[in-house]
Amino acid sequence: MHISFLLHNGYAIGGTVRTTYNLARSLAEHHDVEVVSVFRTRDRPVFDPGPGVKLRHLVDTRGVRSAEALGTEHTLPARVFPEADGKYPMYSALTDRLIGDHLAGIEADVVIGTRPGLNTHIARQTRRGPVRLGQEHLTLATHSRRLKLVLRSVYPRLDALTTVTEADAADYRRLLRLPGVRIDAVPNSVPDPGVTPADGNSKWVVAAGRLAPAKRYDLLIRAFAKVVAERPDWRLRIYGAGQERPGLRALIDELGLYNHVFLMGPIHPIEPEWAKGSIAAVTSSLESFGMTIVEAMRCGLPVVATDCPHGPAEIVRPGVDGRLVPMGDEDAVAGALLGLINDDELRHRMGRAALADSARFDPAHIGARYESLLRDLVGKGSRGLHRTRASLLSGAYAVKDALTGAGPETFQGGRTA
Amino acid sequence: MSGSTAETVTPGATDTAHAPLPTAAGEKNRHNAGESVPPQSAQRGPAVDCTADSAGGLTFDLRLSAAEAQGGDVGLLLRRRPGPSAETEEVRLPLTPVQEAEPGTLRAALPSTVRLTEGRWNVFLVLAGRPPRRLAPGVNDLRSLVDRVPHESRSWMGVRIPYATKHGNLSVRAWMRWPHAEAGALRVHDGGLRLSGRLYGAEVSPRARLEAWPRRGEQEPVVVEAAAEGPDQREFTAELPYPPLTGCRLWDLWLRPEKDAEAVRVARILDDVPDKKRIFTYPEHAVEPRTGPEAATEPPYATARPYYTLNNDLAVRVDRTE
Repeated sequence: MHISFLLHNGYAIGGTVRTTYNLARSLAEHHDVEVVSVFRTRDRPVFDPGPGVKLRHLVDTRGVRSAEALGTEHTLPARVFPEADGKYPMYSALTDRLIGDHLAGIEADVVIGTRPGLNTHIARQTRRGPVRLGQEHLTLATHSRRLKLVLRSVYPRLDALTTVTEADAADYRRLLRLPGVRIDAVPNSVPDPGVTPADGNSKWVVAAGRLAPAKRYDLLIRAFAKVVAERPDWRLRIYGAGQERPGLRALIDELGLYNHVFLMGPIHPIEPEWAKGSIAAVTSSLESFGMTIVEAMRCGLPVVATDCPHGPAEIVRPGVDGRLVPMGDEDAVAGALLGLINDDELRHRMGRAALADSARFDPAHIGARYESLLRDLVGKGSRGLHRTRASLLSGAYAVKDALTGAGPETFQGGRTA
Repeated sequence: MSGSTAETVTPGATDTAHAPLPTAAGEKNRHNAGESVPPQSAQRGPAVDCTADSAGGLTFDLRLSAAEAQGGDVGLLLRRRPGPSAETEEVRLPLTPVQEAEPGTLRAALPSTVRLTEGRWNVFLVLAGRPPRRLAPGVNDLRSLVDRVPHESRSWMGVRIPYATKHGNLSVRAWMRWPHAEAGALRVHDGGLRLSGRLYGAEVSPRARLEAWPRRGEQEPVVVEAAAEGPDQREFTAELPYPPLTGCRLWDLWLRPEKDAEAVRVARILDDVPDKKRIFTYPEHAVEPRTGPEAATEPPYATARPYYTLNNDLAVRVDRTE
């Protein structure tokens, strides 16, 4: 098959870029794979797309200081790319045209979008023929109402939609009702970390991620105060940068934990840092997948995670390769950590189980799941009929939304100058 | 001229007319998920994976194309960044093929027995007939350095921690000390700090002292008792009061293990963290312990906090608040 990905910026750092390359690299072992990056901000991509993956761009912004420098067309607002997608300010009449031209002439058997705005382009502008697959790397629950309305009107014109969790797939099936659109959950892949797994003997708990409110590192630090009270020989490292750093620093000092809890700053690659720990902690209030849980498990660490929407419960097997605790409950976090700290045998066993269980996220497995999905879709060949129905459905939703007061102005497609 | 075109755009679109362009620089500020941005340079050589052993040795693994790898005289060059005296030094390590690895994989070893002068050492790839090239950091496996306990069999101790410079190049931070006073837990409070640590290469005698020396100026050092602890007389604790430190802003901490022995700089180097300054930080406290009713209302006239210098040596900083 010829598979073409459409990505916002393949030259940037980010979870979607990394995940897309993992998948592209794996599919490229048996298929012709290209990644089309709407923007190009660097000479070379930060993450390696992999051998055999062709990377090209549509708009080159290297050394460009202002929108005008790319021509008047780039100063005009986008009309196809939906305003409700957070990346809207970077898109324009220029990107509308270039992406549209790309999709109208695309030679691929399958075209895969990697964010709502680009899935919208694919749904509306791909020529007849190729399979249209939209990927959702975030979650329906975290999208704005405006974006949900856009997606409900354009996603019927996709052939399939993939989410990274079963929970999110269920939300799409239940809330958006996209008849004829196959909705599958396929988790993100995490490659073999390339480091020797942790031996479980160090007395370190490790956490990693953006220092953002949703990660709830404040909860982890408070829980760790209770750990230290019982086991002062154990310490905690938190990797990452972000707006919460000053507040977390103040909390560590206020609790007198400056000999036990360390804000390590951002680091790349993270894998060797996981391997220095014996337990991973993920105390988020919200995850779209839970990539760090899988990363830590692939390095042989059992994970103490909060049972937050949407990812952890689909990754961790409680009592086998980690612990799931209720959200926002610092006593539960401390208790779960101490359970693993105080039982060396249990910690080692769960670490080994984490290593074995996380192999299911290997790009080879995830690539094979995608491959089977794509083969099914390409083999179907009844897309003409489905799409005719889909356009009718979009129209019906628009009428219904107009009647219920959602209003056409909330639809990007309904915007007229 | 394009500005006037932009003004004719429909209302609501004006804020997007000067749309933020996706840039590599903008991305750094927005957020990064626990990852630093590796800067790029076309002149840089391949990425090097470094593995540390608990004795202080390092191995460097890298992959070259078959043509480069077979070029004969292939090696790594470690060059110390010149200090104030502009002196520099070089250490050359041969790169040899790794048998069990993929073709083109080469390894260089920096044994723990090779002395590296204290400082920052830049790492270069040297191929015959080509100018040396800086190398990119790959995967650094430094787990054996975490909570390191050095061997006491030698007459010196080397610490080497590979790290990525802010320009994205591989360098090695080196220390060479003996005896060595490793700082452990610090407890800070209004009026002073309590330091615990461990001395390597000497015993902490009953006459051991912790000494705070002013970084600049003529002022006398502030000297307090350092109590020996532990079964082997290597652990020490000392209580350093802040009030005698107000005459000077920066104070360096030394341990004098015996009355007439050389003083030993107190530092924290026995782990995998090359730069402690931003990671090991401590709250500031009032220089004078405050009691009584005025404690809650009167701001302290000066505050103090311990910190690690760029060399990971322990120091105290005093700030007057007026």
